[in-house]
Amino acid sequence: MNKQHLPWHSRFDLLGITFLLFLAASIGAIPSIEGSGRDLDYLGNLSRFVAQFFPPDWSILDRTLSGLLETVQIALVSTLLAIVLSFLISLGASQNVAPPWVLWPTRMLLNLIRTIPSLLWALLAVVIVGSNSLAGVIALTLYSVGYLAKFFSETFESTDLSSQKALTSMGAGPIQAFQYGLWPNARPIIWSHCLWMLEYNVRSASIIGYVGAGGIGLHLKLYAESADSWNKFSLVLLCILVIVTLLDFAGEKIRKSIRDKLDGTVD
Amino acid sequence: MSTNLLVAKDLGLHLSNRWLFRKLSFSVPGSSFVAITGPSGVGKTSLMRLLSGDLKGNEGNLESNLSTDEKISMIFQDLQLANGASTLANALGGCLGRHSSVRTLLGFPKQEKDSALNWLSQFGLAQKTRQWASTLSRGERQRLAICRSLISRPKLLLADEPVASLDNQWADETLSILKTNQLQTGGSLVCSLHDEEQVQKHADFVLRLHADEPESWSWENVAA
Repeated sequence: MNKQHLPWHSRFDLLGITFLLFLAASIGAIPSIEGSGRDLDYLGNLSRFVAQFFPPDWSILDRTLSGLLETVQIALVSTLLAIVLSFLISLGASQNVAPPWVLWPTRMLLNLIRTIPSLLWALLAVVIVGSNSLAGVIALTLYSVGYLAKFFSETFESTDLSSQKALTSMGAGPIQAFQYGLWPNARPIIWSHCLWMLEYNVRSASIIGYVGAGGIGLHLKLYAESADSWNKFSLVLLCILVIVTLLDFAGEKIRKSIRDKLDGTVD
Repeated sequence: MSTNLLVAKDLGLHLSNRWLFRKLSFSVPGSSFVAITGPSGVGKTSLMRLLSGDLKGNEGNLESNLSTDEKISMIFQDLQLANGASTLANALGGCLGRHSSVRTLLGFPKQEKDSALNWLSQFGLAQKTRQWASTLSRGERQRLAICRSLISRPKLLLADEPVASLDNQWADETLSILKTNQLQTGGSLVCSLHDEEQVQKHADFVLRLHADEPESWSWENVAA
């Protein structure tokens, strides 16, 4: 067998160099991470703090469930609004759909939206519409549009265009070719992104209440600020964990079924 | 025979640093079945694309006698179906050119649906109209692509190896349906085929391309 002698640097492709740079930068950053400088019993502190979480206080279950319901409602409404807005905006951000003069301003707008974290959107919304669940819906809608519109446009750009071209060659107009050629191929992936966004928004909606934007976050804030309520805090966390796990499980099942159907492995 | 739908004169196509064919002259008469044969890679698909207007030749010219209302439709070798759409929606894609975007935004006219169901039934897909195209077998997908092209009611149907994934019985039946339909509507069929038996049985004319010899093509009237 011929043994090939490749130069030593040939193994450093872009991926390898990026990984090395990441490793060097991470290790280089370690000395700048400092603690308080005091001699604290970290493990002792942790165990004493965590002990206050148990047992969870089940007496507040009703109140917690109603807060959780509001959280899920905020997530549902904001995800729906974000899907509609993202679909329209993503057309302007897709290279194979929009002309360059629409493409670049739209992409810049999406970059700008993504720069602002969900908690900051929530603060802005609370300032404008007051401390209520509408602020939560506005905040999460805007935050989600930044991501969903990007995911949608990337899906449109990476989807197989052959059926769209085939329909055009048979006389279909551009809107028809998109609706019956490109959209059916992109739709399963788009739905998959929407499900992920819904899961994400339930998580986010749980925390934006911390700044007054409705939902279970307000409960978390109240219990965290009163020193002897960590067992109530833990019940809220437990409820969030259950709902997020259920959503995650359902989302994965649905995504798998979509994948199988697209791969043609099921009837 | 009626008027020629297409007339090719001294056509030449140069792709990937080689001539696929040169000085190619033939015509596609109305109401006829023209078969194109030749080994894989000889340029059958490129010739089809050239006839459809998707490619431009490097020399010679191609004259079309089709009016603006008369369409050319192609059955693609790679089928080009919408995998996430139902069998029925894929088939109905063929009729989009006859309706405005507004009319088809929320669905298709009933007579188009009936016509599509009729074609799907003829091609053995009546029980699978609601299934996604991705869940069909290769042969079923090929028959679906054929339905879509037939529904577009082309004057000239270009079929790139339309029976490659079908068993002998379906292949024979498909070629018969394609030929009958095109001839009944006064149209023509240009079809690339590998099986000489199918050529002799169905074609009226055959254009044979030869590998590595771009100028040594031949044209034969097999119906005579």
